[in-house]
Amino acid sequence: MRVEVLPIVLGALPASAWAVDYLSASEAEALMFPQADEFATANLRFDNAQLQEIGKRAGIPARSAQWGVRVARHAGTSLGYVVVDNVVGKFELITYAVAVGTDGAIKQIEILSYRESHGGEIRLPAWRKQFVGKTVAGPLRVGEDIANISGATLSCNHVTDGVRRIVAVLQVARETGALS
Amino acid sequence: MQHRSRLGTLGQLFVATALALPPAVHADEAELAQRLEKLSSELEAVKAELAKMKKDREQAAVVAAPVQSAQPAQTAQATKPAEAVYTNTEAAPGGAPETVITGYGEINYNRPVHATEDTQMDLRRAVIGLQHRFDAQTKFAFELEAEHAVTSAEDPGEVEVEQAFIEHRLSQPLAIRAGLMLIPTGLLNENHEPTYYYGVERNFVETAIIPTTWREGGVQVVGDVADGLTLQGGVTTGFNINKWDATSTEGKESPLGSIHQELALASAKDLSIFAAANYRGVPGLLVGGSVFTGGASQGAQGVPNMRVTLWDLHARWTPGPWDLSALYARGTISNTAAFNSTLVGNPTLVPAVFDGSYVQAAYRARFGNYGVAPFARLEFFNTGRKYEDIGPGLTPAPLPTERVITTGLNFDINQHVVVKADFQWFRQLSAANRFDLGLGWAF
Repeated sequence: MRVEVLPIVLGALPASAWAVDYLSASEAEALMFPQADEFATANLRFDNAQLQEIGKRAGIPARSAQWGVRVARHAGTSLGYVVVDNVVGKFELITYAVAVGTDGAIKQIEILSYRESHGGEIRLPAWRKQFVGKTVAGPLRVGEDIANISGATLSCNHVTDGVRRIVAVLQVARETGALS
Repeated sequence: MQHRSRLGTLGQLFVATALALPPAVHADEAELAQRLEKLSSELEAVKAELAKMKKDREQAAVVAAPVQSAQPAQTAQATKPAEAVYTNTEAAPGGAPETVITGYGEINYNRPVHATEDTQMDLRRAVIGLQHRFDAQTKFAFELEAEHAVTSAEDPGEVEVEQAFIEHRLSQPLAIRAGLMLIPTGLLNENHEPTYYYGVERNFVETAIIPTTWREGGVQVVGDVADGLTLQGGVTTGFNINKWDATSTEGKESPLGSIHQELALASAKDLSIFAAANYRGVPGLLVGGSVFTGGASQGAQGVPNMRVTLWDLHARWTPGPWDLSALYARGTISNTAAFNSTLVGNPTLVPAVFDGSYVQAAYRARFGNYGVAPFARLEFFNTGRKYEDIGPGLTPAPLPTERVITTGLNFDINQHVVVKADFQWFRQLSAANRFDLGLGWAF
C-alpha cells in the first residue's frame, strides 16, 4: 500500500467544495478532535489483497482502492483519523464523517448533509452515539447493535454499512503501517 | 482543446496536399521532383504529428488508470492530496444524480386450505417511481402502479398514479408538499413496500380500516419541530359517500376503501384536514398518532352532511433483533341514519363506527448477508362495529369482530429482495384459513 501524508493547517480546507447543509468537513473534524492543532491528509491506496481483506472484515466490498483520510495530530502526535464519506440513502446522498481513535475504536460520527425527506433522526445524538466505542470487531449492523429508525431503514442501513467499511479500511491501513 | 487544434493542423495539411497535386500534372520533371520531395517531407510531418497524438493519448490513459483500478501500490501514482479527501463517495463523480428511478412490487400465492379450488397467484402490484430534484430545496416524487398484471376492459388490473407531488424545503426543519400525497396514518401507509412489512399480505387493520395505500390531493406541511418529533398537517380532498354501493360487499371489506377518490376526478366541495405526530427520538422507537377528518357528502342533493373521521395510535420498537409493533385505528361516519334509511333492503349499509388493532412480534436473525425473520401477528378488526338506529328490524346488527392470527417467515435475500411464507387463521371466516407465499422487491 502506498500512502502520502501532507500536513494542512487546521481550517485551511476548501469549505466551498461541499454542498454543506449542517456541517462542513473542516467543522466536523475540528468538532470531533478539538485537541488537534493540525490535520494531515493521507491518501491511502490499497492493492487487491488488501481490498479483499477490507471486504472480508466489513462484510461488504471495499468499494474503492483509494481512500482519503485526515490524520488528527497534536504536537506531532496522532490523535486519530477522520474519514468523510458519501452513501446513498434511499434517493439522495448522505454525507457523514467518522472519527476513529488510534486504537481503532469509533470516537464520534457526524452527519454533514442529509437530504432525504424521511429519516433525519439519524442526525440526532442518540442515534449516532450507538457507534461510539465500536471497532471493526462489530457487529456494527442495524438490527444487532445499531437500532433502526422506523421509516428510514435504508438510510440507517447504508450509513451503518458505510461506517463498518471505514473502520475496516482504517484497521487494514493501521495493520500495514500506513497509518500510525 | 489541444487535440482539436492538432486535428485542425492535420486538416490544413491534407487540404494543402490536395491543392498541390493538380498543377503537378503540367509541371516539368525537375519541378515534379521538387514537389515530390516537398510532399514527402509533409508526409513525414503528418506521421510525426500522428505519433505524437498517439503518445499523448497513451499518457492520458496511464494517469487515469490508478484512480479507476486497484493497482498495486508500486505502480500506483498519487493524486492531488487536497482533492483526495473528498473523493470518498459511492456516487458518480459530480454527486448524486438529479433523477432517481425506484420501484417495488410483489407476486403472491394464496392457497385457502379448505377451498383449494380458490387458490390464486397474482402479480399483486408492480410500481415504478422516480424522484427528480430540481434544486437543493425542491423535488418531485412520483409513483405509477399496475395491479394484477393486465389492465383492459376484460381484465382485473388497474393502473394508478399513487404519488405525484412537489416538495419544497422552506428551511432546515420545515418542508411543504403539494400534489397527490400519501396520508401519514398508521405504520404502513407511507412505508408500504413489501420489504418493509412481515407476511405476504399487508395486515388487515391497515387495509380494511386504514385504506392503505391511501392518498389524497392537497397541501401538506412537514416539520421536524424538536429532537425526533415530526409533525405533519394539511388540507386535502377526502371521501365521497356518494360512491357507497349498498348492493356490493365492498363496504364491508373496507368502508373507506369503497369511498376513497384517489384524485380521479375527485369531488372536492368538501375538503378534509389531517394532522400527524411521530416521535423517533429514541433509537429503535417510534410512537405516533394521526387524525383525518372531513365532509363526505360533497354537496350532493338530498344527502345529509356526513363527516368521515379516522384516527390511529401506533408504536414500533426494535431493540436489537426484535421488531415489535402495535396499532389501533378507529373510523367514524356521522349522520349515517338518514343516509342508510334510503338504502334499506340492501346488504351493505354505512357503518357509524369501524375499528381494528394488532400486535406483532418478529425476530430478525442474520446468516451472512441473508436475513431470516420469523414473526407472529394477532389482529382484531370490525368494519361494522356500530350502525346508527334507523328503526326496529331495519338497523343492521353490528358485525362480528374478526380475529386473525398470522405466523410465518420473511427471508431477506438482501435489503431489496424478500421471500415470504405464512399461514393465516380466521376466527369468523375459518373457511378462509390460508397458506401464503410471496416474492417482493423494492429499490
